[in-house]
Amino acid sequence: MSITFWVWFGIAVYIAAGLAIALMARRGLGRGMSEFFLANRKVGGFVSALTYSATTYSAFMMIGLAGLTYLGGVGALGFELTYLCGMFMMVFFLPRFWLVGKKYGYVSPMELLSDRYQSKWVGATAAILALVFLVPYGAVQLMGVGYLMNGISQGAIPVVAGIIIAVLCAIAWSNIAGMRSVAWTDAFQALVMIVTSAAVLGVVVVALGGFGSFFSRLESATPGLLTVPTAGGVWNINMFIGLALPWLFFLISNPQVSQRLFIPKSVTAMKQMLGGFLIFGFIYTLISVLWGFGATLLVPGLENADLATPTLLALPIIPMGLAVIVMIGITAAAISTIDSILLTLSSVWARDIHKGLINPRVSEKRELKIGQWVIPIMAIIAFVFAWWAAGKTGLSFMIAPLSSAASAGLLMAVPAIFGAFFWKRATAPGAIVSCIVGAIVVLLFQLTGWKPLGWWPGTWGFIVCAILFVGVSLATKPPKKKADEFIGYLKQKLDKGNFI
Amino acid sequence: MTKTGWAWVWFGFLLALDIAIPWFALTHVEKMSGAFLFWTIWVVLAIISAFVIFLRWKEARR
Repeated sequence: MSITFWVWFGIAVYIAAGLAIALMARRGLGRGMSEFFLANRKVGGFVSALTYSATTYSAFMMIGLAGLTYLGGVGALGFELTYLCGMFMMVFFLPRFWLVGKKYGYVSPMELLSDRYQSKWVGATAAILALVFLVPYGAVQLMGVGYLMNGISQGAIPVVAGIIIAVLCAIAWSNIAGMRSVAWTDAFQALVMIVTSAAVLGVVVVALGGFGSFFSRLESATPGLLTVPTAGGVWNINMFIGLALPWLFFLISNPQVSQRLFIPKSVTAMKQMLGGFLIFGFIYTLISVLWGFGATLLVPGLENADLATPTLLALPIIPMGLAVIVMIGITAAAISTIDSILLTLSSVWARDIHKGLINPRVSEKRELKIGQWVIPIMAIIAFVFAWWAAGKTGLSFMIAPLSSAASAGLLMAVPAIFGAFFWKRATAPGAIVSCIVGAIVVLLFQLTGWKPLGWWPGTWGFIVCAILFVGVSLATKPPKKKADEFIGYLKQKLDKGNFI
Repeated sequence: MTKTGWAWVWFGFLLALDIAIPWFALTHVEKMSGAFLFWTIWVVLAIISAFVIFLRWKEARR
C-alpha cells in the first residue's frame, strides 16, 4: 500500500484516539467559566507539565526550529535555549499568577491586568493585542501540518488538506470539554511528540554511524554552521536578539501559556509542572536541533528549509511506519498548540471584550456560550491566514521567524505584566499607551521591513514600550489602594510558601 | 539584597553569558565543543538554578 494510504490511516487513528480522550475528559465537566476554561484550577502536576509542554512546543520545533537549524546552524539552538533559560523567571511568576488567580478568581491573564490596574481598558487592550498577534502564531501551526503531510505523501496530499484537518481537530478538542479536553489530549500528545521524535532521531543518528560519527561529519561537512555569526551570514547578533527577545518573555507574554499558571491544584502540582516542563523542553529542543543538523547532512540543498523535516522523513532510511508515526507526533504538537490558543482567545473574548466592554451584566452561562462560539470563528481566521502564508516563500514566511514575529507583538504586554506584580507606581494609562504604541511600532516595522541600526521590530517595539510604560506611569496617578492590597497580599503569601 | 533580588541578578548574569560567550569568545570555534556545547551546559545551569529555588516551595499552612 502507498505511503499516502498510511498517512491517512495514521491520521484516522490519531483523530479517533484524541476524540476518545476528549470525550472521556467531558465526563467530569462541571459548569461555569472557571470550570470550562481552567478545569476548575484542579489539574494535577503530571498533566499540568504535559499540557504546558504541548502548548508551548508546537510544529515550530520539529519543522520550524529544525528548518532554522538546517538554514543557519547552531544559532537556532542558542535562540531556542534562550527561551528555556527565560523559564527561570517562572520562579517569580508562577507562584504570583497562581496565588492571585486563586484569590481573585481570574479566568484570563487580561482579567488580572484589568483588576490590578483598576481599568477594564487595560485588559481589553491586552486582549486585542492577543487577538491580533496570536492569529499568525496559530496559523503557523496549521502551515506546519500542511507542509508535513504534503512532504511525507510526496505531494499527494495538498497542503490545504493538512491545514483543514488541523483546524477541525483543534476546534473539536477545545470545544468538547474546554481546558479538560485540551489538557488531557495535550498530555497524550506530548508523550507522542517526545517518544516519536526521539525514536526517529535515533534512526537518523544510527544511519550516520552513531553520535561520534554524526558530530565529526558535521564538523567536516558544515563547520560554518557550528558558530555564530554563521559563516553563510544567516545568523547575526541583531537577528539573534530580534528573535530571542520575544521568546525570552514568552512565558508571560503569550496568554495561552500564562493562563496555564492558574490551573495547578496545589504547590506540589506547580513544582511538578515546572520541573517536568524544564526537562521536557531541554530534551525536545536538543532533538529538534540535532534533527535539523541531520537534515543538513542527508538532504542538503533544499530551497525551502521548512521542508527539511518532511523531506528527511521521506528518505528510504526512515521506515515508512516510523515516518508516519513521527508525522502524527508533529501533527499532535501543532494541534495541541492551536487548540490551546483557540481556548484562550475564546476566554479572552468572552471575559475581557464581551463582559469587560460590551455587556458587563452578562450572565456566566451566556458568557460561556459566547466563548464557545468564538472558538470556530478564530479557527477560520487562522485557517485563512495559514492558507495565504503557505503560498509565500522567504525568511519572513518561514515558520520560526513568523512565530517569533507574532510573539514580538505580544511582547508589548510584558512591561505592564511586570508592573502589575513588581511596581506599585504602575498605572493604567502607562499600560495602555505602552501596549498600543509598542504594537504599532512592531506592526509598522514588520510591514515595511524597516530595521534602523539593523535592530528587529520586536527590539524597537520593546524599547519604545518600556520607556512609555515607565514615563506615562510616572506622569499619571496609580490605583494606590488596589496596588497596596494586591502586592501586599502577594508578599504575605510568598513569604509563607517560601517562594521568592 | 533580598533573595528575590539575588535571583534577578543571577538571571541577568546568565543572559549576559548568552551573548558574550558564543558571540564573542567562541566565534571561531567551528566544532561541536564550541557554541553547541556552551549553550547546552549554560541552559543546564539555568535549569538547575530553577530547581534549587522551586524545590523549596511549600504548601502554606492555613
